[in-house]
Amino acid sequence: MARRKSTRGPLDYGKSPWLILFGLVTFILLYAPIAQLIAFSFNDSKRNIVWRGFTTKYYAKAWNDASLVEAFVNSMTIAVMCTVVATIIGTATALWLWRFRFPAKSAVEGVMVLPIVIPEICMGVAVLVLYSRVGNWMRGFETGPIHWWNELFSVWPLNLGAITAAHIAFSFPFVAVVVRARLAGFNREFEEASKDLGASEWQTFWNVVLPFMLPGVIAGALLSFTLSLDDFVITFFTAGPETNTFPVKVYSLVRRGVSPDINAASTVLIIITLVATIIAMRMQAPSKIEG
Amino acid sequence: MENWKQNKAVFWVTALPGIVWLLLFFLIPLALIWGMSFGEKTSIIDIEITGTLNNYIRSFEAVYVKIIWKSIWISVISTAVCLAIAYPVAFGICFSPARWRPLLLLLVILPFWINLLIRTYALIAVFRTRGTLNFTLEWFWNLAFLDKLIGPFQPLELLYNNGAVIVGMVYVFMPFMVLPLYATIERLDRSYLEASLDLGASQWRTFFSVTVPLTLPGIVSGIILVFIPMLGMFLVPDLLGGTNAIMIGNVITDQFKAANDWPFGAALSFLLMYVTFAALALRAFIGARMKAGVGI
Amino acid sequence: MTYTPKFRASRRSVLKGSGAAFIGLTMMPRFAMSAEEKKLNFYNWDTYIGETTLADFNKASGIEVKMDLYADNAELFAKLKEGNPGYDVIIPTNDYVERMIAAGMLDQLDTSKIPNAANIADAFKDATFDPGRKHTVPYMWGTMGIGYRKSKVKDASSWKAVLDNSENAGRISLLGDGESVIGVTLQYLGHSFNSVDPAEMKAAEELLIKGKKDVKVYADDNGQDLLASGEVDLAMEWNGDVIQVMGEDDDLSYSVPKEGSLLWQDCVCIPKGAPHPENAHAFINYLLDADAGVHIADTIQYATANAAAKAKMDEKYTGNPGIFPPDEVIAKCESSLYSEEKTKLRNESWTRIQAA
Repeated sequence: MARRKSTRGPLDYGKSPWLILFGLVTFILLYAPIAQLIAFSFNDSKRNIVWRGFTTKYYAKAWNDASLVEAFVNSMTIAVMCTVVATIIGTATALWLWRFRFPAKSAVEGVMVLPIVIPEICMGVAVLVLYSRVGNWMRGFETGPIHWWNELFSVWPLNLGAITAAHIAFSFPFVAVVVRARLAGFNREFEEASKDLGASEWQTFWNVVLPFMLPGVIAGALLSFTLSLDDFVITFFTAGPETNTFPVKVYSLVRRGVSPDINAASTVLIIITLVATIIAMRMQAPSKIEG
Repeated sequence: MENWKQNKAVFWVTALPGIVWLLLFFLIPLALIWGMSFGEKTSIIDIEITGTLNNYIRSFEAVYVKIIWKSIWISVISTAVCLAIAYPVAFGICFSPARWRPLLLLLVILPFWINLLIRTYALIAVFRTRGTLNFTLEWFWNLAFLDKLIGPFQPLELLYNNGAVIVGMVYVFMPFMVLPLYATIERLDRSYLEASLDLGASQWRTFFSVTVPLTLPGIVSGIILVFIPMLGMFLVPDLLGGTNAIMIGNVITDQFKAANDWPFGAALSFLLMYVTFAALALRAFIGARMKAGVGI
Repeated sequence: MTYTPKFRASRRSVLKGSGAAFIGLTMMPRFAMSAEEKKLNFYNWDTYIGETTLADFNKASGIEVKMDLYADNAELFAKLKEGNPGYDVIIPTNDYVERMIAAGMLDQLDTSKIPNAANIADAFKDATFDPGRKHTVPYMWGTMGIGYRKSKVKDASSWKAVLDNSENAGRISLLGDGESVIGVTLQYLGHSFNSVDPAEMKAAEELLIKGKKDVKVYADDNGQDLLASGEVDLAMEWNGDVIQVMGEDDDLSYSVPKEGSLLWQDCVCIPKGAPHPENAHAFINYLLDADAGVHIADTIQYATANAAAKAKMDEKYTGNPGIFPPDEVIAKCESSLYSEEKTKLRNESWTRIQAA
């Protein structure tokens, strides 16, 4: 023990037993309910109070529930589309606010955080009102470009566009906040040095600024994926019979108690997102070395 | 910071996507609701915007003020607990071996890809009277022969009180605190810490006088990301709270649903926004005075 | 094809008051088609249809039913208020039916397309909330009452057991639906469920505030789960929900308190702007079929308003006082009447009770 301690440098907080213990306890607390959820998805009991034997029948049941699977696929599609667009817009916004000085800037900053500040239900209702008004107007067209537009957007996955658009609206400010917090620590001299050395605006951004802010961008992307995947309130008001998402579906199912097939579906959702994220991280790793 | 006139192309390229999107899918719908907060119900479904302030005046009735106050203190405590747990976790992740970091970060986020409702029900399954925690405690109780000595195990009543609401809130919002903290601690210049330690400051002193001030932007971002959504939360108090768990989010939701009083719901929502805005402005003001260049 | 003109006419109302489609999103009814596509969007409560009913209907008619679920009437109403996002058949409860008719949110039914309406029990052929049954057909009905654990509760024959009894402290759950909770409290105090009298309302509010310390939780329609998991021993709940868990646990029982309770009726209707009204009529007709009705009632254990189906059910169902309470109990029960004023007063009062 003593020897170990002596090899630990003053800044090796990663080796501090207290910090490790604290992290461990936090992770255990974080995962205890999840572990229980996964265990219950294999529990042969509808009520899920005590263990009544192992079964995989609820996985089959969830898999055979066409509307659950559809909602599941819709949710994943929306979350991916939302993450891509929200990350781009949010990063651009962060760069904009970080880099430029312009009139009424603080007012603009205030407006940008509005989606974070607003109670979800209020935004849900707001979007509902907007969509129904615009929708009513647009449905009046039986021919012409708007009609074709309507037809086009009634096809999957474009019919998810309305929900995705709303998701992007509330999640990109989160990306902007996180990226900007990261950028606040950027040493501007690097940027100037790069430009002095003859790099173009784009090269400077790509080779200097972007690598620096990448952890912030990734954190922001994860946040927006999480927000989109988990959003119930706003989606509830924008979803129609053809565009149900997983949380909306789950919400309607669990108000009378969580059934094991919902646990099964959630377990599958965890595994899919885990695998997808690990693959994404692997793919991105080489470019990190380059940067 | 650059003046926007110096580089108009870059300015507009970075500015427009956010502005346009926010305008179309947020500000315009919000304006509709904002108008509604000055309106009156004329029939079951029709609302006429009359410019009345009655909805706002009604918000200041004692009962709503009391609920708002309660929402604030529950959110303050939950945010503080969130920060107290998230900071060491984010710190630990940042100082862990580089190849571990993405995985650890993923582990923090992973639980939050499970639907909020399912997660909250999972918490209930752990904490309820006949839940996992009580079963586990009972097992230890009997293992230690306490049932012979003291008597049978009395299950703890852990759910349906304010404590349960706070635990639920912390559980739900943790990643929103960890992520921004991670983003700032990760880029912390460690030479400052070394300098402080070399100059004889203790670890604690270094932490509070160097690390914390340097990571303040992340702390502030985290607090904003966590505190504000907590204020408007309604599912957690609904599911985990007892008979007096009502928070302002529940009242607002009721107005849009059961009470069918959208103008009042809109007024309450905007009141909440005005309050948070005042808080943000105050923070910006103090920040400017302290000259701490903290960005949101 | 004689139907086409009517469909086109009703389309105007779609344009006037209907749902979410920005940039063509969500559901786009294909107006150009003269015959309806073989689809139906059904918006229903959870666990409120026979397990194979939708598949059976599909076999019989070729129409594919897609079912979404809502958790309560308020949610259904909020979602349809700004316009119908594409649902064809909904099942609101009587007071919300009244509200939706008043708001012009329901289409009139074409009774010539519902020959099975003859199967409806006489008592339900007309309704005060929908005079002449122009917009609705009855589906299920029931009561609100107390679900309780027999081994732990001495007496659940009165609302006193959950409203004013510290003997049961900490073991009670009430519904989260303030309108109903205040309503039955008024009944307990000897007033009408629908009273808006200030003094009576105040007395009910005070009683509920006083009783709060004994109540563990106001549950959102999951009281039966709390009961089954042993979290509470008494739960104010809807009869069918409790009867469903009684099937799994012999120790549970259900009573309609002697002071009277709420009598409710869920009705099948077609919301304005439904994209497949023709199919909706076919579906409603199918729900009223005797055999389909038997299958539904058998699954969900609520009292059916379908007399032909009830006649075919066994004694275990028809003789269950939890499902079909004796006449003297029903005589004391009241229906919830719709009134904007009542909704407003009850909601304000409920907020005060929760905040107290």
